[in-house]
Parts: sequence; C-alpha cells; structure tokens
Amino acid sequence: MGHEGVGFKSGSTRSGLPTTRSRVPRGRQIQKTFNNVKITVLCGFVTLLVLRGTIGVGNLTGSTLESEDQRVVEDIDRILREIRTDSEPEPQDPLSSLYFVNSTAHNWTYAEAVEAVNYSLGPKISDWDQQRQVWLSQNPNFPNQLLGKHRILLVTGSPPNPCDNAIGDHYLLKSTKNKIDYCRLHGIEIVYNMAHLDKELAGYWAKLPLIRKLMLSHPEIEWIWWMDSDAFFTDMAFELPLEKYKNHNLIIHGYPDLLFEQHSWIALNTGSFLFRNCQWSLDLLDAWAPMGPKGIVRELAGKILTANLKGRPAFEADDQSALIYLLTSQQDKWMSKVYVENSYYLHGFWAGLVDKYEEMIEQNHPGLGDERWPFVTHFVGCKPCGSYGDYPVERCLNSMERAFNFGDNQVLRLYGFAHKGLVSPKIKRVQDQTSDPLQVKEKLDMAARITM
Amino acid sequence: MLERCIGERRLRQIQRGVQNMKLTFLCLLLTLLVLRGTIGAGKYGTPQQDFIELRQRFISHPHRALAEQNQPEPKPKKSDKDDEPPLRSLNDPYSLGPKISDWDSQRADWIRRHPERPNFLTKTKPRVLLVTGSSPKPCENPVGDHYLLKSIKNKIDYCRVHNIEIFYNMALLDAEMAGFWAKLPLIRALLLAHPEVEFLWWMDSDAMFTDMAFELPWERYAPYNLVMHGWDEMVYKDKNWIGLNTGSFLLRNCQWSLDLLDAWAPMGPKGPVRTEAGKILTKTLKDRPVFEADDQSAMVYLLVTQKEKWANKVYLESAYYLHGYWGILVDRYEEMIENYHPGLGDHRWPLVTHFVGCKPCGKFGDYPVERCLKQMDRAFNFGDNQILQMYGFTHKSLASRRVRRVRNETSNPLEVKDELGLLHPDFKAVQHHAS
Repeated sequence: MGHEGVGFKSGSTRSGLPTTRSRVPRGRQIQKTFNNVKITVLCGFVTLLVLRGTIGVGNLTGSTLESEDQRVVEDIDRILREIRTDSEPEPQDPLSSLYFVNSTAHNWTYAEAVEAVNYSLGPKISDWDQQRQVWLSQNPNFPNQLLGKHRILLVTGSPPNPCDNAIGDHYLLKSTKNKIDYCRLHGIEIVYNMAHLDKELAGYWAKLPLIRKLMLSHPEIEWIWWMDSDAFFTDMAFELPLEKYKNHNLIIHGYPDLLFEQHSWIALNTGSFLFRNCQWSLDLLDAWAPMGPKGIVRELAGKILTANLKGRPAFEADDQSALIYLLTSQQDKWMSKVYVENSYYLHGFWAGLVDKYEEMIEQNHPGLGDERWPFVTHFVGCKPCGSYGDYPVERCLNSMERAFNFGDNQVLRLYGFAHKGLVSPKIKRVQDQTSDPLQVKEKLDMAARITM
Repeated sequence: MLERCIGERRLRQIQRGVQNMKLTFLCLLLTLLVLRGTIGAGKYGTPQQDFIELRQRFISHPHRALAEQNQPEPKPKKSDKDDEPPLRSLNDPYSLGPKISDWDSQRADWIRRHPERPNFLTKTKPRVLLVTGSSPKPCENPVGDHYLLKSIKNKIDYCRVHNIEIFYNMALLDAEMAGFWAKLPLIRALLLAHPEVEFLWWMDSDAMFTDMAFELPWERYAPYNLVMHGWDEMVYKDKNWIGLNTGSFLLRNCQWSLDLLDAWAPMGPKGPVRTEAGKILTKTLKDRPVFEADDQSAMVYLLVTQKEKWANKVYLESAYYLHGYWGILVDRYEEMIENYHPGLGDHRWPLVTHFVGCKPCGKFGDYPVERCLKQMDRAFNFGDNQILQMYGFTHKSLASRRVRRVRNETSNPLEVKDELGLLHPDFKAVQHHAS
C-alpha cells in the first residue's frame, strides 16, 4: 500500500486499465524502456550517418560557415608558409664553433675576430682604373657617356621571399614603378636585386658585394647609385648635378657638423648614395666591409660603433654606422673624395616632408630637389615589408601612398592626368585631348608648376 | 485536466496518434535528408554544391580582411561616387579621343626637330617601349603583389639587356574601358606622347620573359604595323577566338595604328555595349564561351570581318613564343636546360611564358593556386638564372630562391665573358657616331 499512488495522482480509479506502475510487471517495464532506448539509439545513429554523408560530422559542432572560412584561411596560410620557407638551414657563423669552445678561456676582441674570419669581398684589384680605361677604348660601342652625360646605374632590391606583411609587397611594387619612371625620364638603367650574393654579408650589408660585382661587370657605367627600396622619387624633374662631383668619388647625403664634430650615427645616410666606378671605390668597399660578416664580428663591431658614435643604440654593426666610423677615423685617407651633399635631398627623411606636399604644390614647382620640393622621400624606419617598424603602420602606409602619388602626378602630367587627391588611386583628366598632341608636348615643361 | 475533458481512452488514443506522427515526421525528415544528399533537391542543389558555394563566398573573405586591415583608408570623397560614368547606350558611339589624320607627318616633324631622341637606335633596331601594368590597389590575394613584383623585376632585366624602355601603368585612364580594355586608351596616350617610340610592346603582368638572350627579329617586321603571336589559319579560316593572343604584341607608332585602335575600341565600353558585343563575338567566333566582349576576341573579329583593310599590315608570328601558354611549357624547363640553350625563343627555349588564367592578384583563377604560384616561381628562376649567370651565380634549383656561385671572383674581371654574352651584347651596343 505504501507505493500506491506515488507519481500517479489523476483519476486512477476511473479506468479499468492497470494504472499504477507497481501493478505493471517489472519485466515489462524494463522491456518498454529498453525498446524506447533502442529506437532512440537507432534513430540517432541513422541521423548521424545521414548528416555525416551530407555535411560532415566535424561540422556538427559549432557553426559550419566558420569552419569553411577557417579551412580556406588555413589553405592559404599553408601555401604562403611553403612559399616563404626554404628548406635550407641558416648559414652558420664561421667562428661559432671556436667561440663556444674557447669562450671560457678567451674573450674575443673585434680585431681577433676579424682576423680569424678573414673576410674579403674578392681578390684584391689594384689597377682597376687602367683595366677600365683599356676596356672602354676597346669597346667604343659601350661608352661611359651617353649624350654628354655619364652613365648611371641605379641599384635597388628586396628579399626574395614574400613580405611578412602583404601590404609590404604592394609598396615595393609602387616603389619600383616610381624608380622606373624617374629612370626612364633621365636615361638611367636599373638593376633590381633579389639574390643574396654573399651569405656572410646579409641584410643591410648585402649592398656591398652587389655594388662591387656590378662595378666590375659594367665598366661602361660611371656611377653606381644605390637606393633603398623604401625611398621614393618625389621630384621627377630634378637632374643630379654631376658636374659638381667631377673630383669626388662618393656622393652621400649628410651634415658635415654632425659627422666631424658630433660623430653622430645619423650624420650620413646610406639609403641613397653614388659611387664612382673606380679604384678608389673598390678600396673604400674593402675598408668598409670588415665590420659586416654576420655573427660575432658584426656583434663586436656593433659595440665599438655604439661606443664611438653619438646617439647610436646598442645593436649589431650596420653599414651606415660603419661608414661614418670609417670616414671619421680615417678622415685624411678618404674625405677628400667624399662629397657630403645637403643642398638637395639626395635622401629626405619622410617625417618632416610628407605633410607638406600640398603646401609645396601650391607654392613651388618640381626641379628644385630640396626642402621646397624634395628629390627623394625616404621612409626610414617604416619597414612595411617586415612585421614591425619604428612608426605606426597606418601613418607609414598613408604617407607612402601620398609620396608615391606626389611623384606620380609629375609623370601623369605628361599624359594629361593627375591623381584626384594625394591619397587617391583614382585619376582625373587635367588637360583635354587634342588632335595636335605634339604642340602640347613641345610646350610641356617638367619643371612647371603642378595644378591639381 | 485534459483527461477530464476527453476521457482516458481518448487521451491515450491521441497520445498514440501523436507518437505515431512524431515517428512519421522523423522518418520523413531522414528520408528527405538522404534524398538530398544523393540526388539533390532541385534548385537548392546538393550539399556538396552548398559546400562549394560557401567556400567560394568565404574564399575572398580572409584576403579582403587582410587588405582592409592594411590598406590606408582614403578620405571618403563624395566626388568618387559621382564620377562613375553612366553606362553608355548602344546608340552612343565611343571614341578614344579627337580624330587625328596626319599623325605620320606630325611625328616625322617632331623626330626631325629632336635628333637627340631618334626613333631608331641603330639601322635596324627601333626604339621600343614595353608597356605593362596592374591595379593601383593592393591585390586581394596576399601573395599577388609579390608575384607582380617578381614579374616587373623580370621585365626590368630583359629590357635592360635589350635596351628597351619600360612604362608600368597603374592608372585607369578611362573608367568606361576598365578591365582588359584598359590597354587601349593607355596605348593611344603613350603613342601620342612618345613620338620617338617606334614600337610599343604591350605585355600582360602575368607574362614573364624566359629567354633573356633572344632579340626580336626587327627586320622581319619592317613591312608590318602589328605583330601578335598567332596562326593565320586559326584566325582567318577557323575564326577561333584564341587564334591570336593580345597578351604580348607589338604596335608601330603610326597613323595606321591610331586607326586600328579606333576600329578596335567600339566593343569595349562597359555595360550594354560590351555585353551585346560579347554575344556577337560568341556567335561569330569558334569555341568562344559566353561572356562580355574582350579585347582579344574583338581583335579576331576585326581582322576577320575587315580583312582587306587591316590584314596586310598584321603579322601573326608563330616562329617563336612572343606569347607562350604556360601549361605546355613549365614542366619542360629541366628538359630544355639539358638539351638546348637560350637565344632560341621558340618551343625549345620560350621567349615568353604567359600565365593565362592564373590571376595571382585577384580571386582564384581557372587553375589551382598552388600549381600557378609554384610554376610562376619556376619560370621566374628559369629566366633569372640567365641574368645571374652574367654575375657568376645561379639558383640552387628552379624551385629555390637561394643562389650559389658558379664562377669565382677574379682580379681580372674584364677578361671573363659571361656564357651567354649578355653583359655587353650586340643588341645593346650604341651606334658609334664619329664625333
């Protein structure tokens, strides 16, 4: 009697059917439950099978749309990773074994390290000027002058793998177009390097073996002009005043007081400079290179440079600091042939220039090359290709776009167009088409004011 | 309470009915699912198709996200939207610019007045301007810009060795002629602005030079004004839409060319004009799929329908690969290296390998991305090796970005000649004027 009515309250007395649970035999109860469970399991199983056949069981958990997205992104990432990596290991520091073995017994000095590495850009050449003269006289159809102007070779480059930041490649492309435009207008050849010619002198030092190689391969070239990939031409009308440099072999932007009095590590800029193709330049390259080899040499050299140059942070030796150190410590040997140029922006630090472009357009005109209309706007520290630079990414990218368009307007002007604004990729017509285009061309002056 | 209304028996009947219905419904659902999974449900498509559609919809998403994240925000200008040109109606004829009828004499006058910029560099070698380009906006595909960069480096190298100038276009000169038609207004503007240029060489951004030693046979083209890769029979007899290729062609700077551009342009303007023209082209040309008019089909159509007017000045070149379809070339590079040498320009060592259909910059093209990108790397290295050998280096393999030395440094660099003679080739020599 105790269990009767438990869990069963309504009208149990009305029907004649067994209504209390306790009246139904236990076995039957269990059987029923079991049947229910069987059916449930069977249905569940069939459902799973069907769903698996259609949209995949992995997608049953969580949103299906997200996982498609995820899979596509993973696909692209995988392809990108494969493209970016090369299966070869990084080149070893030639001294690393010695260093670690003897580190307890011996502290390497820079001089010892240099001697141990014994790096050389190549076999010593002492008669390059004569070799070159002979060659030029034997090859009159490859003269070192064209239309009275010495031949210049602009050299630039970037690493062979895709940028860590995809937008970096886009600005490398725009920077290359910018250089192609300037060089076409001024009859300059371009070499775009993507190869690591010397694994020891990797990074910013890579320009040294490259410059030497190009000098020796192209005796018809009088000037080798190195330009960083993050430097843009912003004055398309400006012509280098080569006559000024008749008696010099290295033209580099900088400030003599910062160089000689303060020994500042930014007294000169090696992002845009010219080397004459001559023996003196080969010698300078040989004297410049020793601080470059990767590893312990570069590290120890970095310490010396930080100790001797004003304002230099502590990091491994870079080519710019090394050159400043070389020129200041061996002034008598080199400085007579070095022209420290600051009458125009052979290199123009971007931060002080990019916001003034509109003002320049209003007040000045191309062809000046200086602070009124900078020749080169150099995005030092932006590093759009790498993962992080010294400045906020957006400011850098926005400014690079402006600099590019500022220069591009001077090219588009030749065809009657201009950008709609310094940030806009769209263009508008600024000069109507005519059936007498050459009359217009005759009157066109690259140094005339720009109207936007 | 329900039981009080209906009665116990009734209630149980209803309960059983409901349970049966539940079972029926469940079975029906399962049946539908299974049917859908196997034979599809009509217009809704199979889940497989759903999958593909979803994939496609979201494929652009990650790239767009990257691009949007990184692209500088241009200041929104109302004028941008207003400047979208209204779609041209079919009755409104399009013109590339004011009609010029005396271009040959205008040009001759100019050249006479400016002897410092002659249109011929030597007796046989014309001044050539290579024209290529890409969009001013970052690619939707994150590696697209990297391949555009490699492609332009490749062109810079060929043109430096062959003394050819380059114009890299990033401007849309005429919004109506967007897409593949954008080259027409550009070519016209360049021809008129550069009278000193004798030949304009248009080359797509997805085409790469793979024979650095091959100099174009300029004397062969003296009687012609337009040189394209193609076959006479395929164009004039078969009317095949791929009988010629407008991805790499030469156009002489003369009145005939301006007239040709004017005759070529009408099918181009975006909108109903282009769509209707596309239908005509698909009807007339062999094997052409249904899509809006493209410049290549329009060129075939023009040559076929106005043969007497144009064909005598058009040379369809098939002796070497002025355009070489990548599909039949890229797997044979190792074989070519083993058996042949640069300078041939043809099937043995193609001048140009053209990655038609790959579209590395945009959304996915007609071929699998991986194959396209890997093969573009190989083609690039294949060409780059010929440049690097000038300086004593080569790529470690056709797939590797790394290089290794193949010629030691020497203290007498001028006595060493590079194997292919590309450092100081004849075709780069300046005409030696007696001073």
